[in-house]
Amino acid sequence: MGDKGMQKIDPLDHQQRLDRITEIFAGMVTHADEQAAYRCPYRDRFDQCTAKFRCTNQAKTAVEGAVKGAVEGELPGCEHDGRFDYRSAWESDPQSYDRAKAKIEQIHSNASRLRA
Amino acid sequence: MAELTDIQNEDIRYEIEEYLERDEEIERNIELFARVSPGMQDLAAALIEGDNGAVDQMTRDALEKGIEATEIMDDGLIAGMGIVGIKFRENFIFVPEVLACARAMKAGMTHIEPILSASGVKPVGKVIMGTVKGDLHDIGKNLCAMMLRGSGFEVIDLGVDTSPDDFIDAVEKHGANLLGMSALLTTTMPNMAKTVEAFIDADLRDEVQIMVGGAPVTQEFADDMGADGYGKDALACVSLAKELIGAKA
Repeated sequence: MGDKGMQKIDPLDHQQRLDRITEIFAGMVTHADEQAAYRCPYRDRFDQCTAKFRCTNQAKTAVEGAVKGAVEGELPGCEHDGRFDYRSAWESDPQSYDRAKAKIEQIHSNASRLRA
Repeated sequence: MAELTDIQNEDIRYEIEEYLERDEEIERNIELFARVSPGMQDLAAALIEGDNGAVDQMTRDALEKGIEATEIMDDGLIAGMGIVGIKFRENFIFVPEVLACARAMKAGMTHIEPILSASGVKPVGKVIMGTVKGDLHDIGKNLCAMMLRGSGFEVIDLGVDTSPDDFIDAVEKHGANLLGMSALLTTTMPNMAKTVEAFIDADLRDEVQIMVGGAPVTQEFADDMGADGYGKDALACVSLAKELIGAKA
């Protein structure tokens, strides 16, 4: 044991450590993707909504008796039954894609015009 | 062979008893935590709880006491995160709790980074991350940040609703070579293009590689926006970041 300033970490040894962390996190990310098919990723273990935006599934009052958890502060409860895949919401409206595409073209065109 | 009672920390014993179901994982974690010092057991327990304040303090104290950074990482932070991964896989906890634990891990790693740096372990790259202006969705971006940090990148997370100017300021301030933008709405996705244009106007476009992602984003949109790459998820984000850094080097 030495003081903080004297310590050295072997870079090769540390790469193995990073590989282990990556393995743990990769498992988490894969599971998060699977879980998103049936549970909103903003819903915590106390069925509270941790989102920073408004959602129609947010309960009007905060969950009563919510235990202090990983997320600090009082949060609204989530009232959704959880039977949905939110991801499809972004794939089902071709018109919104067309609008976004047009907007992007307009942004580039305006920027080019201003530069010229 | 170690027994559960050989583990001093009550919370760790509870975690193993209550949440671990597979025999080999129970055995492995009992063996692991039984040989780990009580201080590192406490650190792992704080990380599992997602208590970043406690992890911050305990890591600082441990280093001041002369405990090796490798011990703190292996026996405290990574050992704790291993339990978090199992609890998540078994649906005892969910994404918000996982992200709280990842924040706690970052709080601990912040104190270890100077030692890594002094040892010649440099970050793989420096990434500015943020959700674009007008968008408050952050789960995907947070998972990307977690994965990137775990893979050795330094990540500066600007949070949500990030303006082009904020992205530019952060890239300049931190000298970052990568920028990651996220959007979950088709209405906010065009703000990625605005940010790309802002970088051109600021004469910084060649200084940074720009990655984009988010549920509505596709490779086609990434190309339209003038981004350097698109990642469909957090795993792809890490591969892309490494590829772009390699391409830049």
